[in-house]
Amino acid sequence: MKKTRIPLLALMILIISTVTTGCWNYREVDKMSIVAGVAVDKGQKDKFQITVEIIQVSAGKDTNMTSKTITMEGKTMFDAARNIISISGKRLYWSHAKVIILSKEIASQGVTEVIEWYNRDSETREDVRILISKGTSAKEVFAGQGSTDDIKSFVLEEMIKNQVSLSKAPMMDILKFNIESKTQGISTIIPTVNLLKKDGKMYPQIMGTAIIKNDKLVGFLDGEETKDLTFIRDEVKGGVLIEEMQANDVHTLVSLEIFKNKTKVTPVSDDQDIEINLNIDTTVAIDEINSSETIFNEEGRRELEESAENTLKERIESLIKKIQSEYNADIFGFGAKLRENDAQVWNDVGNNWDEVFKDLKVNVQTAVHIKNSAMLSKSSKEGD
Amino acid sequence: MIKRIKKRNLETTTKSMEKNHSENSGLNKSLDDNISLFKNIFKNDETLIIRGFQNKRLQSAQCCIFYLDGMVNAEIINENIIQPVLSNDLSENIESNNLLEELKKKVIVSNNVTLETEVNKMVSSIINGDTLFLLEGYDKALIISSKGGETRPITEPTSSRIIRGPREGFTESIMLNLSLVRRKIKNPEFKVKFKEIGERTHTKTCICYIEGLALEGILNELELRLDKIEIDGIIDSGYIQELIKDAPYSPFETIGSSERPDVIAAKLLEGRIALFVDGSPFVLTVPYLVVENFQSNEDYYNNYIFSSMNRLIRGFTAVTSITIPAIFLSLVTYHQEMLPTPLLLSISSSRQGVPFPTVVSLFIMLFIFDMLREAGTRMPSSVGQAVNIVGTLVLGQAAVEARLVSAPVIIVTALTGIMTLINMNFISATIIFRTFLLIGASFLGIYGFLMCIIILYLHLMSIRSFGVPYMMNVTRAKDHDGQDAWIRAPWWAMTLRPKIIAANDLVRQSSRLGKEK
Repeated sequence: MKKTRIPLLALMILIISTVTTGCWNYREVDKMSIVAGVAVDKGQKDKFQITVEIIQVSAGKDTNMTSKTITMEGKTMFDAARNIISISGKRLYWSHAKVIILSKEIASQGVTEVIEWYNRDSETREDVRILISKGTSAKEVFAGQGSTDDIKSFVLEEMIKNQVSLSKAPMMDILKFNIESKTQGISTIIPTVNLLKKDGKMYPQIMGTAIIKNDKLVGFLDGEETKDLTFIRDEVKGGVLIEEMQANDVHTLVSLEIFKNKTKVTPVSDDQDIEINLNIDTTVAIDEINSSETIFNEEGRRELEESAENTLKERIESLIKKIQSEYNADIFGFGAKLRENDAQVWNDVGNNWDEVFKDLKVNVQTAVHIKNSAMLSKSSKEGD
Repeated sequence: MIKRIKKRNLETTTKSMEKNHSENSGLNKSLDDNISLFKNIFKNDETLIIRGFQNKRLQSAQCCIFYLDGMVNAEIINENIIQPVLSNDLSENIESNNLLEELKKKVIVSNNVTLETEVNKMVSSIINGDTLFLLEGYDKALIISSKGGETRPITEPTSSRIIRGPREGFTESIMLNLSLVRRKIKNPEFKVKFKEIGERTHTKTCICYIEGLALEGILNELELRLDKIEIDGIIDSGYIQELIKDAPYSPFETIGSSERPDVIAAKLLEGRIALFVDGSPFVLTVPYLVVENFQSNEDYYNNYIFSSMNRLIRGFTAVTSITIPAIFLSLVTYHQEMLPTPLLLSISSSRQGVPFPTVVSLFIMLFIFDMLREAGTRMPSSVGQAVNIVGTLVLGQAAVEARLVSAPVIIVTALTGIMTLINMNFISATIIFRTFLLIGASFLGIYGFLMCIIILYLHLMSIRSFGVPYMMNVTRAKDHDGQDAWIRAPWWAMTLRPKIIAANDLVRQSSRLGKEK
């Protein structure tokens, strides 16, 4: 009895654990179409019109990868995704998709209903980047010319990475979007993509931010405003600050490369009055000076720092004013910070945060430190 | 009496030699009778040389020697037996019943002469290459040591080559092999116990150990297992290895074998027991643990960092040679989301137009690799070029260009093949478990692969070699356990011998041990 019990038990565990696992399936890589990216537009007949960019791998001595796009409509996202199989012939494989592009129209209707399927399905991933096409329909983005790679979605992903490092566009994937859109006291942002006409060809360009309030697209910010926005959100990864100097009647432009930034948001509340203290601490380096003026003494450096601090402060204040007056969407996350720091106050004001945010007083403090002047210690023209 | 022996001789002509001499208990005083007795025992064996001669002066000293041609050193017989007996000035006044004793004491020049009365022992010593000396009028005989015959010279073993370290290797002669080890351990505690195994071959085996280091329990167990062997012949130590090993159905070896005296000496010094088998250059050692598969004698002679790196390479490749095909298969056919996108695309492009599923082409290619390996081992070296060309060009390049298999499959096969060859003493287990894991992965992906890994791990954990856990020191690196497993600690840090095996006397460097603490 005991001799047979252990093998029987082992067999039972084996069978049960085999049968109760999730979905698995033997499939060969060449039997499926790998989706590189997807664009969602408003459909003409049905609600959604989705366009997938499929990677086409041609056999031969040199592997040649091209892409083709397939557009199909459906009542739901999943319906549309399945309808595509009727044209492509192969099953779509979503795990390697890099970007999802939403058109302005569909984003104005609501973003969550588009990406809900993306969140729920097992094959789709949460690290896919979201984009909103500003000027054209989403599907036209795939028709644009790629500058390096033939697969536009991969080009777009690479562009997002680089633009984020220049603070010209915010980083946003589905996971982060889900977190931000479910957090109280913060409105989400999504980077925008545009088609730029150049030499008769259309090039996609990623720059600027779309403001999403209550799941709907309400407005856009341009690239420079996006940079200021990333300062407030403490998401600065790099980029350039251009500073104008007026000394001895000479107009000088100085490029400052951002190395490091730390932004501290401290909500201060007493009774009914809520204020936000914003402390921005940036370390930069001089990377370019287009004049012969020397500013490399201690005084000149101090002057430049002060000037940069003031410019940054002005820009940030004007951005906050603009958002408050035009969109009234708390894309800076001040509400979320308040909720984090002082939950009791948030409980009082949280329900009508929109009202509070509109007239919220924000005290901006900026500090710019110039670390070095890159490879040159003197002005290039000095001593001439 | 004479009648009885004659009758017996007639009977035994049809019986086996074995039975024959076991029933003969004594010799006759007549030389002629004795000669015919041995002639009968070695009937139809024409290598038996019978040489009769007598002393030049003493007529009564009629003698006869027996030996097997090829088994003896003819010089010893000529110069140390025949020459002295022929030319010695034997005086007549030697008491006639004392002549044999006189010859033994004063005439025969040999380092090892024994007086023997039993026919059985005489026969076996003739077979072993000694010379039997009979004298007219005596029912006793002298056995004179004259072992000879050609043996292979000591050469460097070809089964595993090294760059640094002793180059000598064992030969097929057990006494020579023993002397090679004895020369390294000059200590009376080095013990040697002989035992004959094989009902027909009477193969000489010998248990060696160092008293005070080797565990009594393991020694007794080894002797018990050797006593239980009932087999007609032992040709190589591989017979014994398989007859007495633990986990007899497992592909993992639980008894070690080595062709190098320095390895055997080092293992004896760790408290292990060696088993020499006559006719085999491979000496067995027990207990044998899984870490010994990854140890090379060179590790101990080279710089410890370099040795540790090499040992890690061996351990790593042993694991990967079993798992790589299965991991590749499950990633490519079940879990494409786990591959980086560029890799997936390049695999996808190489799969275009390939007729067989990945799992089938993997099985085919791995089988072909094993065929090439077997051909490489077995073939005469003059045709090696042909196999190389067929293997690399035809099967590798042409198969990919003709799109019969995809390039990643070839790469995985080649990688697996090389890693398998790094651990040659592991090869049977590697091939069996690699196939096992591949089958698991082909049905259930990573999930099935992991199930098979668990089974493999349980199996390894369940094995013991002569009572010592097979996986000892593999999973633990605390204290002194890990010092000679995945890495090789510097000699000044290896203050202890391996535990359990050398439980009798663990401390190897007592002065250093004190300093360490």
